[in-house]
Amino acid sequence: MTNCVTVGEQEAAEPRPTVQPVRMPTGLLGFESIREYLLVFHPDEAPFGWLQAQDPSGLAFVVVDPFLVLPDYRPDIPPPDVALLGLKGPEDALLLNIVTIHSPQRATVNLKGPIVINRHTWMAKQVVIANAIEYSVQHPLPVTQSAD
Amino acid sequence: MLILSRKPGESIMIDGRIHVKVVRVEGDIVKVGIEAPPEVPVHRMEVYLEIQGNNRGAAVTQKPPLPRVPLARPAAATESQANGSVRPQIVVRPPNPRRGTRSAVQENRP
Repeated sequence: MTNCVTVGEQEAAEPRPTVQPVRMPTGLLGFESIREYLLVFHPDEAPFGWLQAQDPSGLAFVVVDPFLVLPDYRPDIPPPDVALLGLKGPEDALLLNIVTIHSPQRATVNLKGPIVINRHTWMAKQVVIANAIEYSVQHPLPVTQSAD
Repeated sequence: MLILSRKPGESIMIDGRIHVKVVRVEGDIVKVGIEAPPEVPVHRMEVYLEIQGNNRGAAVTQKPPLPRVPLARPAAATESQANGSVRPQIVVRPPNPRRGTRSAVQENRP
């Protein structure tokens, strides 16, 4: 999971992606039957990662750390979800939000329904935050426009 | 759809483990209380449909080219699982019921 640069051999291996299996007992809204995913981060795709379904569907979702997009994001995780995920406090939670790539120049992120992950057990749930009304399901990402 | 009539205070039991109660009727607002195991997600329908629709629009079977986004901190994405950075902005309310009622009804903000 780390770069392998062998000093003296003038050779660097490809940076390896971080791969982490994640279990979602309730699945994603609309995809409830898919319970097992792989979280994959390629260093050269930062800040984006992939949530890949581990079933024959081959479905994948682009995800991003919402605090990179909106530093003031303040998601309120409802108590039943805190219980289900076994979160003792905010430090146990890792949040990733689903990105929609509408076009090469336009992408949005769902801030109403983050995927909340217990970083110790790697159990996750797509949570509708209690303050969902404050945020958009299609919050725009600042895409660098290309010159052409 | 099964249609049942209930007076305020009356309940419905689903699958022997999901309890739906008409708590109060105020004008044309019906306050519904739901007790369900934590692994049974309960959502307002319009929010559920909005997020379901967004998830379906976001799902891909082939990886699209990712847009360039000026957000990345160096190695932030790969280190985020390891560095355990504290996120004080995440509001995690403890699940212990604070009210003394048997049914532990909690009002979710709309």
